[in-house]
This record gives sequence, structure tokens and C-alpha cells, in this order.
Amino acid sequence: MKLYNKYLLALGVGAISLASCHRDLLSPVPKTSITDASAFSTPSRVSAQLLSLYGAMKAGNFYGGRYLIYGDIRGEDFINETGNLVTGSDVWALNPTNSATGVINLWSSAYYTINCVNVFLEGMANGGNAVVGDATAKKYIAEAKLVRAVSYFSMLQYYCRPYADGSGSKPGLPLRLTAIKGAGASDMARSTVAQVYDQVLKDLNEAEADLPASYTAASDNVTRAHKNTAIALKSRVYLTMQNYAKVIEEANKIVPASAPFKAATGVPNTLNASYTGIFSTYTTAESIFSMPMTSTTGDNPGTQNQLAYYFSPTSSLGGVGNGEFSLNQSGIIADATWLTTDARRSFVKKTTATNGTIKYWLTKYNVGSPYTDWAPVIRYAEVMLSLAEARARTTNSVDAQAVALLNAVRTRSDPSTVFTTSSFANATELVNAILKERRIEFMGEGIRNTDLLRLLQTIPAKGTAQSKSPSDVGYIWPISANELALNTLCTDN
Amino acid sequence: MRKIAIACLCLCWALGALAQGKTVTGKVTDAKDGSPLAGVSVTVPGGVGVKTEGDGSFSISVQANAKTLVFSFVGFETATLTIPANGVLNVSLTSSENKLDEVVVVGYGTAKKKEVTGSMASVKGSTLATKPVQTFDQALAGRAAGVQITIPNGVLNSPPVFRIRGTNSISLSSYPLIVVDGIPSYTGDYSQTASAGNALANINPNDIESIDIAKDAAATSIYGSRAANGVVFITTKKGRQGKAKVSYAGWVSVNKPFRNPEVLNANDYIAFKTSAVANNPTASAIQYLPSYDAQGKMIDTKWADQVYRDGISQSHNVNVSGGSDATTYYFSAGYTDQQGILRGNNFKRLNTLLNVDSRINKVVTIGGKLSFSNEKNIAANTSGSLNGSAFNTGGLGRLAIVLPSIIGPYNNDGTYNINGSAIGSSNIKGISSLSYYNPVPLLDLNNSSSENNHIQSNAYLQIKPVNGLTLKTSYGIDYLLVDNNIFWTPITGDGYSYNGYAWSGSDKYTTSLWTTTGQYDRTIANKHNLSLLVGNEQQRRTSQRYGIQRQNLSDAAYNVIQAGYTTNNPADLFLGENYLLSNFARLSYNYDNKYFIGGNYRRDEYSALGEKKGDFYGVSAAWDVSKENFWTKSGIQKTISSLKVRGSYGKVGNIAGIGDFSPYSTFGSGLYGGLATLAFSSVGNDKLKWETSLKTDVGLQIGFLNDKITAEVTYYNNDINGLILNVPQSPSTGLPSSPPANVGSMYNKGIEFTVNAAVINKRDFSWNTSFNITQNKNEVTALAPGLPYILQSTSGLESVNRTEVGKSLGYLWVVKTNGVDPETGKRVFVNSKGTNVYYQYYAPTGQFNYSTTPDGTTKYVSPTGATAISQAADAVMYANTVPKIYGGWDNNFRYKNFDLNLMFTYQTGFYVYYGTNAGLHDQRWWNNSTDVLTKAWKSKGDANMLYAKPVYSDNVSNGSSMPLNINVFKGDFFKFKNASLGYTLPSSLLTKMKLASFRIYITGQNFLIATKYPGPDPEVSSNGNTTIAQGVDRNTAANAKTFLIGLNVGF
Repeated sequence: MKLYNKYLLALGVGAISLASCHRDLLSPVPKTSITDASAFSTPSRVSAQLLSLYGAMKAGNFYGGRYLIYGDIRGEDFINETGNLVTGSDVWALNPTNSATGVINLWSSAYYTINCVNVFLEGMANGGNAVVGDATAKKYIAEAKLVRAVSYFSMLQYYCRPYADGSGSKPGLPLRLTAIKGAGASDMARSTVAQVYDQVLKDLNEAEADLPASYTAASDNVTRAHKNTAIALKSRVYLTMQNYAKVIEEANKIVPASAPFKAATGVPNTLNASYTGIFSTYTTAESIFSMPMTSTTGDNPGTQNQLAYYFSPTSSLGGVGNGEFSLNQSGIIADATWLTTDARRSFVKKTTATNGTIKYWLTKYNVGSPYTDWAPVIRYAEVMLSLAEARARTTNSVDAQAVALLNAVRTRSDPSTVFTTSSFANATELVNAILKERRIEFMGEGIRNTDLLRLLQTIPAKGTAQSKSPSDVGYIWPISANELALNTLCTDN
Repeated sequence: MRKIAIACLCLCWALGALAQGKTVTGKVTDAKDGSPLAGVSVTVPGGVGVKTEGDGSFSISVQANAKTLVFSFVGFETATLTIPANGVLNVSLTSSENKLDEVVVVGYGTAKKKEVTGSMASVKGSTLATKPVQTFDQALAGRAAGVQITIPNGVLNSPPVFRIRGTNSISLSSYPLIVVDGIPSYTGDYSQTASAGNALANINPNDIESIDIAKDAAATSIYGSRAANGVVFITTKKGRQGKAKVSYAGWVSVNKPFRNPEVLNANDYIAFKTSAVANNPTASAIQYLPSYDAQGKMIDTKWADQVYRDGISQSHNVNVSGGSDATTYYFSAGYTDQQGILRGNNFKRLNTLLNVDSRINKVVTIGGKLSFSNEKNIAANTSGSLNGSAFNTGGLGRLAIVLPSIIGPYNNDGTYNINGSAIGSSNIKGISSLSYYNPVPLLDLNNSSSENNHIQSNAYLQIKPVNGLTLKTSYGIDYLLVDNNIFWTPITGDGYSYNGYAWSGSDKYTTSLWTTTGQYDRTIANKHNLSLLVGNEQQRRTSQRYGIQRQNLSDAAYNVIQAGYTTNNPADLFLGENYLLSNFARLSYNYDNKYFIGGNYRRDEYSALGEKKGDFYGVSAAWDVSKENFWTKSGIQKTISSLKVRGSYGKVGNIAGIGDFSPYSTFGSGLYGGLATLAFSSVGNDKLKWETSLKTDVGLQIGFLNDKITAEVTYYNNDINGLILNVPQSPSTGLPSSPPANVGSMYNKGIEFTVNAAVINKRDFSWNTSFNITQNKNEVTALAPGLPYILQSTSGLESVNRTEVGKSLGYLWVVKTNGVDPETGKRVFVNSKGTNVYYQYYAPTGQFNYSTTPDGTTKYVSPTGATAISQAADAVMYANTVPKIYGGWDNNFRYKNFDLNLMFTYQTGFYVYYGTNAGLHDQRWWNNSTDVLTKAWKSKGDANMLYAKPVYSDNVSNGSSMPLNINVFKGDFFKFKNASLGYTLPSSLLTKMKLASFRIYITGQNFLIATKYPGPDPEVSSNGNTTIAQGVDRNTAANAKTFLIGLNVGF
């Protein structure tokens, strides 16, 4: 009996142990993420996926900060203060290498956005459409295509020769249009610049067709794409391609022939009465498209990517940033025709350090850590000035509508300077005035680089940085070293 | 009834003996530390014996004609001694640690060392207990063949780089599996802050009985999918029968910085930097002017003195052990408070351990262990020395050398010298910000600490229903709770742009483990020894964190996370789980202890894999030649007293570090302007499986002169296949992460040699020496298709380690130089085609930065059209970082009551990239090494200069902007790791003092090093345990040298 008990005890121990295997624990389901198998299974997941495309575009390395910053610091109006390669001192000096932080990260961030769009489009076709219904699906797909268009267009500005150099015949970008979800798709050759522009316009045209005219939530009219967004972006793309007739065609859809300049269809985009107000009230009708920020981690640009961090001086000088770039004292701020009474001058802050050093800073973005200034993608004022420039160039005259458009932008901030057709001797003077207006109006909004390159102008010297003519190495960026290493079909610039 | 009868019989016999004999009394102690030994059997040859009491004393009655007594005890050499006339015989027994009849832990059981057919090494806990370390693994360097330990930096409680037989993975962990009393422990750094937090610090080195290191497939395969990096078994001390025995061990030590670089003083700095400015016309606005303190004295700051200190440390441990026939116990409590050489870096531990075993009856035994440890890993500010922090602008190791000596930590009004986040530039004119931080306010105001509460416990039930059969089930838990806290002051430094910053993360890691085994041991016909083990094990681990990050401090006086801030965010939350289900078996057989064979098999199923099931095995055989008749008869045994050959082969795996949800591609939650998003966030692989290691091992053990000298030589080959690499896809694919795949392969092979010798063994003087050497060759044989190399960066900025097929891991990939041109002082780079390219930072009109001629007038154009030298185009695979040879040499001397230990470690055949040296010769405002005064080019004709003509702002010529071969040095070293001199009070004195034992000792650690390496210490790793980025010394705070005085007392 005793022996029997022993065996029973032993057997019991063994049996309990084996019986207690929890085989279900071998296939745990993630509780903090959604697996790809069910990512498009509900309307809210599809909608959240769509918003993630904007979210990808909003990354600090892309439209959340650095894309705009690079666009300005490549130009002549800023001086690098910290010599930090991580914060773009090489981009400023126009000599970044293939493995430079900016070159690598903008490339991967933009392509991540593009692939997210492609994955979204595929997921919609494979069931997402049915989940949300065809009407909603069409709008969603249009929004996705717009995000893809912006991404490709943005990359063209840094990595490729301007369209004007050989009418887009130079090497463009690998044109990724299908979803990639795993290994094995590394190789793809670069299309031509023109082919990429064609795709950008195709996406924007298709987007314009299917996008909603407006949204019910006012903030969505700024943070999500609507018809006017696609139109406005097309005016920018055509201007960059020097296709001025098409600029006029697109801009005319939302800019009336005469004042008041206000979009007649869709969202009633127009100039905001106050220039400075655009950068504190982010959802005015002037902001056609902006990247929204909140103070929650992951919903703002993150460390060393923020507009205010780069442009605003340190708090010891009364700013909120890190003073990475000051304003070039011989740049546009030295221009006497930009009057001190101009409202836009209120964003130029003069500081005097304890040792007497005087600096000027751009304080257009002035929200401190965690830096929640919204990042502007495109404003109505740009469409107006693009239209003005296109008219001046196509008519090759001091076009009255062009002057009126320029005046509208100028007098909003500087009522004392009123241009008339007699202010300009010829079309060139008018165009130059418009270009100067763009430097003033959009300083810190990332378009200076495109304005220089689209016209094949030399990038002027500034501080210790040398100038770069269109034929110089450094006029455009090299291709990401990581791309060259892993994509055997990709060539460097 | 039966017991009483036996006792009576004994008593009668003893009384009878007494009547016609004499009584011998005395005391038995441990020769090593003089502590009393209880339970030693004292016998008359051929007669009956007694056991010593708790205080080591014995009293035995012997016949009048008895001449000798035999003293024997497990783990000690048996001593046969003559009975002196006065009948008092005090004996000290020598530990038999070099002997083959020891017991070793083999996984789910123990085995006699002589029966073990796998490759194992053992280290006694006592050799580690008195060392001034935070964790035992730091003290293992040089103590066993095949074991490589590198202390990565001078931050307290940094996990060492721990490798057994080379680095055996690329993306997964190469740290061995550490099994503590049967439970696989957490390993690695669990601190998320600027302090280091080795998870193994919960084990008080004083509580360790033994460390057994399993190296080959035979010894490790019982741990299947986790065995590829070797398995280390830690056994904590258990109680021994006898009266309660109390002992105390304590020490006090002082740590000092070690071989820090010398940088320019104020006068030299001004002169040298001014000359550099003169060489750069674009920098004419820059002026280096002295500053003066309130007394009018020129400021000449030794920044190293602001950052480093002499750290005072202490450790105290008390333990009690004892037990009855049925129940034994060991209870210990320890306290240590250690100061690092970096200001603000402290380590404090409070720990307790209770081990209890109780035999309820002949059949059933129960027991268990409960250990609790509280460890505080404290740092004020980042050291810049932990993995990922090498380029921190606040890195203390870096600030100590980069900051100019002409600026001070304070202004003359007593306030901190700061300029926003940076240090104030004082009288340096023309530079708006130095951008580096003032370490003093950071050390005063910041804090960064990680506190671990670690519970390890288990309980077991063991049943022996019939003779030879043991059934055991045990349940263990390992709870590691980590509280991380970081606070950055808003005044300056990293917290400045946040206007005050705090981050806290509360981590919980739990392991529960249920193991059930059945073992059957049987000897048939006295010759056939058979042992069979079968078992089932389930291990479940969960991990999680609550984290919060806060910014914009409400009040300047606050410095804790719980205070007021205006911006609040959840931070770094995670939730993970995995499950490992295993069945295993082991069969070992030997014939007459002469011929041995063994086999292990384990099937693991692991939740984090796509292909969950894996089968692992190891087979082995051994032949004890010296047991053969021909051997014993031949007489050779007098010279070669033992000889054994063995071999093993098997397959094991590695899963350490695979993400819990690797099989899945996932979409993660994010935000867009406050709205929820769901973004493609991770690429999985549903075919993912473990990495496999095919291990071959052939060894020979030989003993000479009655095993006074023993030696072991082993050849091993470890072929690793299916290495998991996160295979990078071209960035234009837009994938959110690199998908993992089993694609790589490599091998480690080598030879280990160990020799132990009792060189001198006299009554008053002995010398035991142990020497080991390991030669290892590592080579990567395959990476992923389309992946020609893997670059691993140091802290995300500088990539000097490149892993390529055909080379060892983490090869140094640098641009070659051809010295400095004597005529012009220009750095001469060597481009990819071997052409000299002359570089000048400042190019006058008509000249170029890079030129093919020394005069700078011929523009350099590379074969691909570039006009500059770059790492991508011109770097070469230059030197290996994996040591080819390493080992240790340990010597123990005893002269009467004095003992002396001299321990040396060495590593050779490897190179270190001394990246710090690039910074030390950077021609921005950065302070420079004093050697620029003699080794930098000054004027035409200066030949053989190491550094280029100083040109202000030049960060290219000496290696800051890309890694150059001038900063690669041989790392070979021979280190005087440890010297200890101890004195043990003689037992005559002890009796008077009513003490059982008393030993006092002094120790010096790390105080001498023979190396040609110019940095502080070639034994360094800026990238921690990263497998493919060893051999980098970038801004690292070096190791300390330590002097210690300690005391061990037994009561």
C-alpha cells in the first residue's frame, strides 16, 4: 500500500506537469498592434490607415520639419550657427555626402510615405473598398494619391536635376507604385525626371476628380486634402516645370480674375487679413494644407526636427529654440524695400548677446518644446503669386492681374507700398518683384530652394558657404548611400 | 529502535577503545581562509571514525598503538597525519579544486566531473567573493579557457562583454545563458537611464558556491535552443549539517581613474589654438583670450578633475548556515555601497538569500530558495560610455577632454558658466556657442537612476520511490522590477530645450518556470553505470512598461518626475510575452569508468518564432586511458597519472533577443493632429526559426605526477547557420523595418589549453598556478543575398565596424593615410586606388581642398568623379577587432599564515579604433592632447609628424569627420588584474579570541597594464555587448584601478 502511494504521488506529479502545457501560449496575438491580416477589416481601421498616410508625411524628417527647413537653408537667407552635421550644417553649406543625415533620412522618410500609400491602395482594392463602401473609398483613394504626389514632388526638389535642365530628361527617382510588404523588392532603376513629374500630375489629377470639395470639420479643410488642395499643388508643380500656361489654368480654378481673391468653389480659400495670424491660428482659410501638431509624443516633429528649434534663438536670447540658423544679415532682411513697418518684419527678431554680437532670427514659428507649430504645406498666397508670375511670364508684359495679385499679398502686410503697372519697367522687373515677394512672404516655409532651382539660378554664397552654379557638384543632393548600397539598379547623381 | 541500538553499540565500542587507548583532539580548518570545517570525517585507518563539530573541533578515541589519522571531506584533499605525542592535532585541509573527482552542475542535475564527457570549466565562488565588483561576471576574466570577458567602461554595473568561444551571433545576443539554481536568469543591461544596470547584479558574489561553464554541445545541448552561446550554471551556497555557523565578509576600497589622456593647459591651449587660427584666414574673427578668476588668477581648468573622483566603496556580508540531519539552511544578507570614478555614479545593493532543504522522509525531500535584492544604479548624468551614448554632448568621458582649459565651470559671481544649453565661451571670441555642456551643473542638478527589485525563488518536491529513481518537480519565479528615472534640469544641458525634462519607466519582467524531471541511475554488475534523465519544462516570460515623459518644469526647485510640469506624455510603453515549451532527455553510460558515452536531446517550441518547433541534440564519448590495465601495468602511471580523451558533436540553437512577435507584420497606432492612425510599422517573417550551431569538440585531459600537474587541451569548431539578420531592403521600398530572416552563417574555431600545477606544496609554503590560453578564429561565411556587408554605427553617427564575408565580425573599416607631408604639413590620404591625396582644410584661391599634388593646385577627381576622399568610396577593411588569443594566469601562494594571489589577464591579436583620439586632435575649439605640441606639424621639413598642420576648424585631417587608420591601434595587453595579500590568524589565537576564523587582506585591481595602446584601456567597448561593433573606444570613460582592504571572520 505504501509503495502504491509513492507511485501514485510520482505519477501525479508527472501527469500534472505534462497536462499543464499551454499550447495556446505558443501563438500569442500582439495586444498593442494590429496584424496585417486584419488591418483593413473595419471602417475605423481603414480610416485610421488613411490618416496614417498624412501621419507619415508629417514625420519630422519630412513635412513635419526638415523638408521645409532644408528648402530654406539651402538658400541665401540663413546662416548656420552650430556647425552641427545632424542639424543640417552640410545641407546649408551645399556639400552633404551620400551618407549625410539629411540625404539619408529624407529619402527613407518620403519613400516610407509612398509605400504606405501603395500598401493602402492595395489594401483598399483587396477588401477595404467593400468595408467602407465605394463612395467613401473613392475619396480615401484620392487623398492617398495626393499624399503620394506630394512625396514624389518633394523628393524631386533635392535629389534630381531641375525639370528645366533638359526638360525632365535627367535621372529622376525609382518610381514605386505597387505595395511592398516584404523582402525582395530592393532593385529598381530611376525613372526620368519627366516620368516622375508625369506620375505626380496623374495622381493630382485623379485626386482632384475624387476628392471632396470640403469637409464638415473645419480643421479637416486644412489637415486633409480637398479639391482645392490638389489644384493648389498642381499650380506649384507646373510652376516648377515652367509650364506657365498650366499654372494659370490650375490657379484660375481657385483664384478669381480680380479682387477679392477668394476661391469660388470648394473650401473658400483666401488671404487671411492678418499675416501673423496665419501662424497662430492654424486653420484660417489661407492655409490650404498644413501638418497639424499636438503636444502628444509622436504627434509633433520630435527632437532636432522642429521648425522653431532651428530658426528661433535660444531662451537666453528670448527665443524658444536652439538657434541653429540665424538670418543672413546681407540676405533679404537687408533689402530696404522691405519696409520696417511690414507686418512680416515682426517675425524678424534682433538679439544682442552679452558679448555684443548682434543676430537676427526668424520667429515665424514660436511655440517652444515640444514645438507644436503647424507646418505649412501650401498657402493661398503662394497660388496667387504663382499665378502672378505665370501671367507675367506668359504675357511677357507688366500684366495688370499679376500686379494686382502681387499687390494683394504685399499690401496685406505693408499697406504703404502699393504697386501699379507703372512700378515695373518690364515683365522681368515684375517677375523679379514677385520672386522677391516670395522670399519675404514664404521665408521659413521651404520653397526657396525650389524657386532657385526651377529657374536654374546659381545658389548664392552666404557666410562661409560658397555659391553653387547649376553645373557645380552640390547644386542638387547626391542619392542616399543606403539606396545605392542596396538597390543595384540605382545610380548616383 | 534500530538507531538506538546502533548508537549503543558504538558507545560500547568507544568505551572499550577508551579503556585501552588515548584521545586525540584538535580542530580542522580550511587552508584557504582558516574557517572551521564541520562534518569532516576523522578516521583511524581501518577503523571507525567521528565527524567534526560546527566549530571544526573533534575528539576521537584511538588505540594506544594508532599512529595516524585520516581526514577526509568532500571537496578537499584527504590528509593522513601522524598523531603527535600530546594528542592535539590541528589540521588545515586544502581544497581539491583542481581535482577531477569534483561534482559539476550539468543542467537538471549534477555529475561527477570525471564522468562528464562534455567540455566544462568550473570556477569556485570563493575566488570571486572578495573582488570589488558589482556582478560576478566582471570577475570571471581569465579564469577559464574559452571565456572572454571585457569590461566595457568605467561605469559601475556595466554588463561585461561576455563571450564563450567567440561571438556566436550577429543580431541576437552572444551572451551565454545564465542558469541560476536551475532558473535561466535575465542578462544584460536593464537600466534605461545613464546608469548601467546589469540584471545579474542581484546575485551577491559572496553567495555563489560555484560557477560551472558549459561550452560544447554535449554540455549545453540539454538547453537546446538557448545553448549556442554556452551555458553558465550558478549554484548558490546551501547549508551544511552542523551547528549554526556565522561568518562575516567585508571590504572597503578606493577606485581611481586610470591612464586618462593629458590635455593642453591654458597657456598651451591658447598658444596652440591661436597658431591654428593663424593658419585659417577665414577664421580671423576667432580669438582665444585668457579669463581670470575673482582673484585675478588665470583660469586653467582641469576638466577631468570636475568629472572624475576617487570613489570609496564598501561591502558587508553576513551569512548563517547549518542544519540538522533532515533540514539544512543557508541565510545571508549583504550590503554594498560603491562609488564609481565618475562623479555621481553609485551602486548600492541590499540583498538576502535563503536556501532550505528538508528531507521529510526517506522518499520525499522538499526545499526551496528565496532571494531578494534591491539594487540602486545611480548616475547624475550620461557618461557617454554606455552603448548608444558615445556622441552625447553631455557625455562625461568626453567633456573631461573636449572642454578648453581656459574656461571654468563657474562665473566669477559664483553662478554656473553657461550659455543656454551649452557652456559659456568666456573669452573665446568669435564663436557664438561652444555647443558642449558644462558638466558641473549637470552633475549637480541632473539625476538618472535605475532601481531594480529582483526576486528569484523556487520550490521543489523530490521523490525517490525506489532505489535509483528520482522524480523532481520544481517551480521557479524570477521577477525583475525596474524603476527608471531621469531628470534634466531646465537650466542647461539636454533639459534646456525642454525647459526641464523628466522620464520615468516602470518595467516589470516576469519569468515563471516549471520543470519536472525523472532520473534513473543504475549500476549493473558493478561495471555498467547508467543514468537516464527525462524531463518537461515550460517557461513563460512577460514584460511590460508604464512610462511617462514630462516637459516644461513648473517650478525651478522641482527635480522629480512626480512634480509639476505642463507637458505630459506617455512614453515607451510596451507589452510582451513569450512561451517556451520543452521536452528533453539525457542518457549517459560508462563501462567501469573507462569508456563513456552520452547523449542529450531536447525539443523546444518557442512562441516568438514562425517555425516554432526545433530539435536539438548532443552526443559524446570519452575514454579514460589511464584506467586501462596496460596503462597501470606499464609503469607510465608514475609519470602520466591520468589520461582521458573525449569528443562531442551536436546541434544547439540561439533565440536570445528575437522579438516576441517576429512572425507578424503589424500596423501600429499613431496620431495625426490628435486623431488615431494605424500605420504599417513592422515587417515580420512567418518562416523565422532559431539560429543553429553545430558544435564539434575534441579534448585531451592529462595529469602528471599524481595529478600534481594537470593539463587539458581542446579543439573546438562551432559552425553557425541560419543567423538571423534583419535584412536591409533598399530605402526606396519604403518598408518600415528590415524583415528578419535566417540567412547568415559563420564559424568560431579554436584551441583551448589549460594547465594547473601545484608547483610547491610544503607544509609552510605552497604555490599553485593555473594558466589558460585560448586561440579563437572567427569568420563570417555568408550574409544575406544582396547584402555584401553590414555596417554597424557607433551611437548612430560613425560607422567604423563593417562585417563582411571572409572576415571576422566587426572589422575596422577606415580610410588609409600616408602620414603628413613634411613640406606642407598636409594630411596625405590614400584613395581607393592607392593614390596619395593631399588635403588642406583651408584652400587659398587657385588651390583645392583635395589635391593630387602637395601644392594643392591639382584638383583631385576620384575614379567615380568625386572631388573628396570619403569613407564610402575610399575606406578599406583594415583590422580585426576580435581577439585571436586571450586567457589568464592565476597564482596562489601560501607562506605560513600569509596568502598571496597574483592574477593576470591578457588578450592579443586584435585592434582597437581609438576614436577618442580623433577628437583629441580635432582643430575646432576642442581641447587637444598634449602630444600636439610635439607631434603636430609646425614648419617646413617636420618629418614623421603624426598630426597635420593645425588649421582652425579642421575636423578632417585627424579623423573626426571620417575614421582614419591613424586612430587604429593594436589592442594587445597584459594586465595585472588582481593582486591580493592575505593573513589568516593562527588557530591558537583564534581560540583565545573565540573566533572560528579570521582573515584580513589587501587587494589591488587593474593597477598595472602592459600595452602599446595609447588610450586609457584597450579593454573597452563603446558599443557594449553589440556583436558586430567591438573594438571601438569613442569618448569612453575608462576603467578604474582599485585598492581594497577586506576582512573575513567566522564565528
